[in-house]
Amino acid sequence: ADAADRVRWQMAMSFPSTLKALADTAPWVAEQIHTMSGGTMTLQVFEPGKLVKGTEVFDAVSQGKIDSGYVWAGYEFGKLPVSPLFGGQPFGLTPWQMSAFMLEKGGQEMMEEIYAPHNIMPIFCGVVSAEAAGWFAFPLENLDQVNGLRIRFAGMGGQVLQKMGAEVTVLPAAELFEALEKGVIDATEFSMPTVDEQLGFYKVVKYYHLPGWHQQSTSQYLYVNLDKWNALDETQQGILRTACTAGVAKSMARAEGLQGAVLNKFTDELGVEAITLPDEILRELKEKTDEVMAEYSEKDADFARVWGAMTAFQDENRQWAEKGYVQPGWMSDAQGD
Amino acid sequence: MFEYEILVVILLISFMGLIFTGFPLAWVLGGVSFVFMVLSLILLNGFNVDTYFLDDWNDFGIIVDRIWAQMQNWVLVALPMFVFMGLMLDRSGVADRLMANFTKLFGALRGGLALTVILIGVLLAASTGIVGASVVLLAMLALPPMMDARYNKSLATGVVASSGTLGILIPPSIMLVIMADQLSLPVGDLFMGAVFPGLILGALYVGYVIIAALIRPDIAPAPEKAGHVGWRNVLGVVWSIVPPLLLILAVLGSIFAGIATPTEASGIGALGATVLAAANRRLTLEVLRRVCRETMLTTSFIFGIFLGATAFALVMRSLGGDEFIGGLLTGLDVEPWVVVLIILFIAFIAGFFLDWLEISLIILPLVAPVVKDLGFDLIWFTVLFATTLQTSFLTPPVGFSLFYLKGVAPPGITIGHIYKGVVPFVILQIIAIALVFWFEDIVLWLPDQMYNSTR
Amino acid sequence: MSETTPAHSESAPPESPYGDDGRDADGLPAEHRMLPRTRPSNAIDHVIMRVGNAASWIWALLIVVIITNVTVRYAFGRATVWLEELQLYFYAIGFIVGLSYAITWDRHVRVDALAERWSRRTRAWVELFGTVFLLLPFSGAILVEAVPYVRTSFTLNEASSSPGGLPHTWILKSFIVWGFGLIFLAGVSRLLRCTALLFHRPRPLW
Ligand code: NA
Ligand code: NA
Repeated sequence: ADAADRVRWQMAMSFPSTLKALADTAPWVAEQIHTMSGGTMTLQVFEPGKLVKGTEVFDAVSQGKIDSGYVWAGYEFGKLPVSPLFGGQPFGLTPWQMSAFMLEKGGQEMMEEIYAPHNIMPIFCGVVSAEAAGWFAFPLENLDQVNGLRIRFAGMGGQVLQKMGAEVTVLPAAELFEALEKGVIDATEFSMPTVDEQLGFYKVVKYYHLPGWHQQSTSQYLYVNLDKWNALDETQQGILRTACTAGVAKSMARAEGLQGAVLNKFTDELGVEAITLPDEILRELKEKTDEVMAEYSEKDADFARVWGAMTAFQDENRQWAEKGYVQPGWMSDAQGD
Repeated sequence: MFEYEILVVILLISFMGLIFTGFPLAWVLGGVSFVFMVLSLILLNGFNVDTYFLDDWNDFGIIVDRIWAQMQNWVLVALPMFVFMGLMLDRSGVADRLMANFTKLFGALRGGLALTVILIGVLLAASTGIVGASVVLLAMLALPPMMDARYNKSLATGVVASSGTLGILIPPSIMLVIMADQLSLPVGDLFMGAVFPGLILGALYVGYVIIAALIRPDIAPAPEKAGHVGWRNVLGVVWSIVPPLLLILAVLGSIFAGIATPTEASGIGALGATVLAAANRRLTLEVLRRVCRETMLTTSFIFGIFLGATAFALVMRSLGGDEFIGGLLTGLDVEPWVVVLIILFIAFIAGFFLDWLEISLIILPLVAPVVKDLGFDLIWFTVLFATTLQTSFLTPPVGFSLFYLKGVAPPGITIGHIYKGVVPFVILQIIAIALVFWFEDIVLWLPDQMYNSTR
Repeated sequence: MSETTPAHSESAPPESPYGDDGRDADGLPAEHRMLPRTRPSNAIDHVIMRVGNAASWIWALLIVVIITNVTVRYAFGRATVWLEELQLYFYAIGFIVGLSYAITWDRHVRVDALAERWSRRTRAWVELFGTVFLLLPFSGAILVEAVPYVRTSFTLNEASSSPGGLPHTWILKSFIVWGFGLIFLAGVSRLLRCTALLFHRPRPLW
């Protein structure tokens, strides 16, 4: 390719690449693209805020203001209610289920179709482990405690909690740490153990709740402005797709590889209590989640279609997932831990 | 040097030249960005010059997204609220009495007013991290009485600018929050780490004012009215500082008691000032109307600078300015501590042109891994870096605190007075940076105590 | 203030009756008058003053919203996301409308260390060039760019992505258009006052 075929794109991030596992795949993917293309394709990483805020990447790519972005699908929830289904939503798919859905069960094609009117080509480009259910000032033991709980919780999970009577706020991230420390709020959700460790929530509150019912996996995508995408030749498109599929494997491996040690460190060294949400609460969360999902399915056809396909796959996969693998908890029982 | 890097240099030079024409800073920043956008497109399309990422008219449109980001920046709500509080205090007569009485209290001490300003600056710093708010608030409260007391204009403005800037370092601090976010560090450790550097700065300021007032009594005269501080006098003073003290207590207290976030506390402060005005029988609809209008003007001139700066940064960045500055930092083959010094020096110099946000966006992600690999503690380094950037608020010609101050200073105070006045304080800042550089524990001791850190 | 001062005079600008609220008898800001007034610029300035004056009450409303939010949460343990977002609305509308208000009041910060030694005509030339090449193109370009931005938000019926947040985000986004439209107008008004001083067009009123 001569100089005219060179690709030099901005790639805006939704999370800073200093966040372990959650966001450090992006520079790696960019590097692979550069290498595979023999240096003719450069996707330059722009940390959040350098061009636009992480939440605004969708808009900017859509309008062709920036060429591409590596982002969590879901920030465009206000404009595209279906988006969190691709990013990660309550009682959704695990990382490997999500990979199966996107790469083998038509998820990628569905998403391309939905994003095309917004002039975006989305490429599934990374998926990481479950989030935790949040940091609490006290252990959550029963349903009554959820009523009136002052918790910071963004997105659909927040709506579910609201339905259960929780007082949900969306305090700015900038004030989150202090608000938790000083007791302005009782609890907050944040991210995976690796990220939570970096941000130091364990320093102010000690009750870490699991499982991450609200986000069983977090998926990120390479958003490419559709005009820019169409201007690429097949080789270049192939390189982007391949690098992203590699990114999926890389991020899944990296995230899963790191979480265990950090959770152990929380409980063994840092005095954090890892609390499993009581069954009673989880059931109620699931019930309210179904209500929220039904409401959105009613309002939004795309939402209904994707959610339908996802749950169909989840159902189809269930017997295998529950019987094919040694169940979580069995190991601990067997070893008498 | 790439072609676009030459453009960056011309951009910086044009900006520096244009601000001295006296055209409003906000529109120089914004306008220069526009001009260079157009210029780049002409050079690219007409002369095939490599303009890096500035190759499409669409790139300019990103500014709209960035303006929207500014409109969504919750933490900045504190700015108009503190401005309102200052204006209301001024109208309520509380501010006058507070100043007058503090002066009485410190009457025997030359430079008493200046010391009061520093003290209030430290207290304010503990409630906001928005420098514009604290500089403007201090200026409104303190400059008129200092002028009455025949303070040297440069000393007065220097004290106000530097004390008002402490807020960016002493927690809560929006700067440290952003840095924590960028480097994925616990913000609590940064907050605690910045407490002593902030207090040391306050102490250095105090020391300087005392010494300067001793050597040159004419620049910081003792108030003429100040007499002997007798018992009755003390009681009167104490009584009159109760209301403002209550106000400070309400603001800080609501934060520390977990009632409100620092941003919300600014609203409590604004309400408190209004209540004080009412208690003083000074609150009328007319007063409220004027305070609101003045709040609007003050807030807006500050945001004008913010918006201009965001446009400027975008254009500079799209022309490869980040890589240009980054290039100065890479390939350093010297002793580790020299590397740190060079980084700080470049940040300091960048502070002549850019605001702290852009400098941290450019330099921090680039150097943090390097500094970490050299074996330095990142918390320590980040606080050190923050202290350096705090200095950049005060360094002429482009020092944002200086501009905020100019925007509300009484007529007769020129930018020249302000530039001159801030010089000794910049030197004090450098001393503080040196202290933090040599004694790591100034930063690291407190977080270790507070959080039992397991670094 | 004397109505008869010749517009091209190089002497200091006429002192205006600087009222307690800093306004002339005609209701416009009594900046230390560098530039003459003109009919068309007065018309523009009156609009901006009216909008700005009305909008300035938003700061009092903002206090009310903040206090309500804190009280509701602390005293009654309730959190209301839309009330949290309303704070943002008031703050954002306030400052963006205020930008033009501050132009009309001539309150944007100037680094006038050198400029204050220049003659009035020189400064008017600077103001003219700055307005034509910096302020007007910048604000005009933002205005143009903001329109599709707002339209997208409107077409997609964008709402807050927070649980229980406010709908119709385009309303707030449209203030970028209103705000910069007013900035552009305020710029035009200043431009007219420069040309009045330099070329007597439109006719200076002082
Ligand atoms: Na502060
Ligand atoms: Na500076």
